[in-house]
Amino acid sequence: MSSSRLRTTAVASTAMFAVVGLLGACGGGGAAQSATSGGQPVYGGTLTYLEHQPPTCLYLPAAGFYPNGGILNQITDKLTWQNPKTLEIEPWIATKWEVNKDATEYTFHLRDGVTFSDGSPLDASAVAANFDVYGLGDDKLKLPVAEFVNNYERSEVVDPLTVRFHFDQPSPGFLQGTSVIGAGLVSKKTISLPYEQQCQLKNIVGSGPFTLKNQVVDKEVDLVARKDYNWAPPSSKHQGRAYLDEIKIIVTPEDNVRVGALTSGQADFVRYVQAYDEKTVKDAGFQIYAEPTRGVNNGLYLRPRNSILKDLKVRKALQAGTNAKEVVDTLFTGSYPPATSVLSHLAQGYEDLSKDLAYDPAKANRLLDEAGWARGADGTRAKDGVPLQLGVFVSGPQPLSKQTLELVGQQWAKLGVKLEIRPADAGTQAVDIKNAEKTAIQHGMVGRADQDVIKSHFHSKNRDVILSDDTKLDKLLEEESAEPDVAKRNAKVAEIQRYVLDQGYAIPLFEEPQVYGGAPYVQGVAFEAVARPWFYSVWKSQQ
Amino acid sequence: MTRYLLGRVGQAALVLWIAFTASYVLLRLLPGDSILIKFQNPELGLSPQQIAEIRTYYGAGDPPLLDYLNTLLGFLRGSFGYSIDTGTPVVERLGEALPETAKLASAAFVLAVLIAVLIAFAAGYSRTSWIRNALLSVPSVFVSVPAFWLGILLIQVFSFRLKLVPVIGGGPVQQLVLPVLTLAVPISAPIAQVLARSMDQVSTQAFVPVVAAKGASRWWILWRHVARNAVLPTLTVAGLTLGELIAGSVVTETVFGRGGIGRLTEQAVNAQDTPVMLAIVVLAAAVFVLVNLVVDVLFPVLDPRLKAAS
Repeated sequence: MSSSRLRTTAVASTAMFAVVGLLGACGGGGAAQSATSGGQPVYGGTLTYLEHQPPTCLYLPAAGFYPNGGILNQITDKLTWQNPKTLEIEPWIATKWEVNKDATEYTFHLRDGVTFSDGSPLDASAVAANFDVYGLGDDKLKLPVAEFVNNYERSEVVDPLTVRFHFDQPSPGFLQGTSVIGAGLVSKKTISLPYEQQCQLKNIVGSGPFTLKNQVVDKEVDLVARKDYNWAPPSSKHQGRAYLDEIKIIVTPEDNVRVGALTSGQADFVRYVQAYDEKTVKDAGFQIYAEPTRGVNNGLYLRPRNSILKDLKVRKALQAGTNAKEVVDTLFTGSYPPATSVLSHLAQGYEDLSKDLAYDPAKANRLLDEAGWARGADGTRAKDGVPLQLGVFVSGPQPLSKQTLELVGQQWAKLGVKLEIRPADAGTQAVDIKNAEKTAIQHGMVGRADQDVIKSHFHSKNRDVILSDDTKLDKLLEEESAEPDVAKRNAKVAEIQRYVLDQGYAIPLFEEPQVYGGAPYVQGVAFEAVARPWFYSVWKSQQ
Repeated sequence: MTRYLLGRVGQAALVLWIAFTASYVLLRLLPGDSILIKFQNPELGLSPQQIAEIRTYYGAGDPPLLDYLNTLLGFLRGSFGYSIDTGTPVVERLGEALPETAKLASAAFVLAVLIAVLIAFAAGYSRTSWIRNALLSVPSVFVSVPAFWLGILLIQVFSFRLKLVPVIGGGPVQQLVLPVLTLAVPISAPIAQVLARSMDQVSTQAFVPVVAAKGASRWWILWRHVARNAVLPTLTVAGLTLGELIAGSVVTETVFGRGGIGRLTEQAVNAQDTPVMLAIVVLAAAVFVLVNLVVDVLFPVLDPRLKAAS
């Protein structure tokens, strides 16, 4: 242990000096690098990637958390590849597939010769074992069901390279579900471990272009390229092993240390550049990557079970009295497009509803008057002695959530509404978030490049951000989720967006991106459809 | 001496048990728990029903007393359980974090003592009153510098501007330079203050002019006579700075992105990871007890008069 640590730090310091050296002339790469200039990819080198938070549990379906996804996206492959530009599902480990007409049977034909990094084959039985867990969970191993699989019944191994999945109801979202970060394939040995074990990175054996070399829990994860990797998605121009030799993922919680380390040449790539730091990064000649997350927008979600918000007029008043543009203009940058609907304009089934989202304080005041909330001496409205006060938690994962809520609180104060902003104390939040009286409003978003994302957010059996008691909404969401025809499904998603806004359940603010910063010599950075970095084709050019 | 030590060990066990029980009760009283916090994370997209099932798996519904006894029994056997946040054994997490913090804290402590001695001696030696006053006000400045701010400032200046030491990567020594400085500055303040003040007091005692009259140099008096007599209260304060070392390491390790007990504490608090927090509390209490014991045992060694008295 200690000797390997010493070696790692030695490598680290060498890499460090190489990076610092890059400011003058390129170091580290040697002959291979000095022979090329700019355009042609080169092999070798280490990418130092600074993460904002340490990874938590690495059980694949929990990969949605960005620090987890940033690692798992390098060490696992998926059955299919969602093209981030077209959002089409393309072959990867599955070379082709058939779906029956009502989307209750999916047959995948697998690529031959793919192996996990422990040498075991990635075959039909391994894939079946993975999806049996993702679709059904495992009570004994304490493994929860994955969000991206709906209506799963069972798997069937047809032959070593053919696997079929059966669903008890149509599951049109499943094909896209096989491409998401949480659907990464792991070896049969990994998938049969209990939850606690699957949480630990050292137990995750995937077939991806990188494998784990060394981990210092909560501090650093070192990945090393797999030399025999030869099964990138066919649509990738780059095939064979990854260009980089190594990726060092270092947890650096302090915002300005991450940005300073990047611009001073100590790191190559960083996640979570705050809006107010974007200019610093750009001015230093570095690049900002603001990647869309293509799902339900960052916004405020109003809970109809709250005794004040149960009145539609109040919900509509808050919607009309919120100036999202001011929020974006004051706190954020061009990387954060103002919301034009419940969904991001890059989401599947998006419909432009910006007309319904116009800022109209006069209308808001009128609606509140009509609803019987009269202004008191201090300007705050009240009805029957109850002040118009609503509680919301600061949302940890959302950028500048506190500032956003404070600004909205100021806008609402003009209407005579008091927004009570509570700090994100995890324990209190975990208890009160399910209480519509205490937490009248939730601040959040969810990213996933499939129509089902709206169901994940609003359905009473999924994330249920509004603590829905609306059976019509649940029914609409279920219909969307079970509609095999794409055009009809998109129409349903559009209907849901209109319905959610009409009912005043949502106040969309902006399309939340994941913002990364990269050194100018880092080439070939790619992201999956929901903005997790994919370092397979990354290489470092000369400066 | 044996009886004394046995008594102290008994006291130590009692302190540890009280620390354990108090933190168990406090953690229990907090709203929510780590299982809820972890699985209610919207990223997981679990339904309330699934969360309820997971809670039963983990035995979250056990009666408090039973759970307390189980946990206590585990601690007595040396098994601290699993971190709910990461699913790893708590012992493993402590084992990884402890050496890092030990390195940081011990280096910072040594540096803090050096700074303190330097300030106290310079002030004691100086005859010019404004220099003396200036030197004596340094600890007040040091103690009011927030570690957070100092850390960021040091990083910005020495790492990002002057590029003298890297914050990311770097050798084991390079990695320590700035964090140690960050942690040492506020710790050095109380030590310097107490040392300077007690040197001042000792200087006014009658034996000092006598030694001077015998022809001893200023330096000799300061080093051989004043400092030796002033060291006892300083030792007590130095023992007490341990708490600040632990508290300071939370900030320092977070700012510098170092692994360690401080960072582990911060994460465990955020996730309300009870098994980890309990283990940290007991560990910190154990270290406190141990350091105090060492200080008490050192007293008679440094001052023969105390040996005679006991």
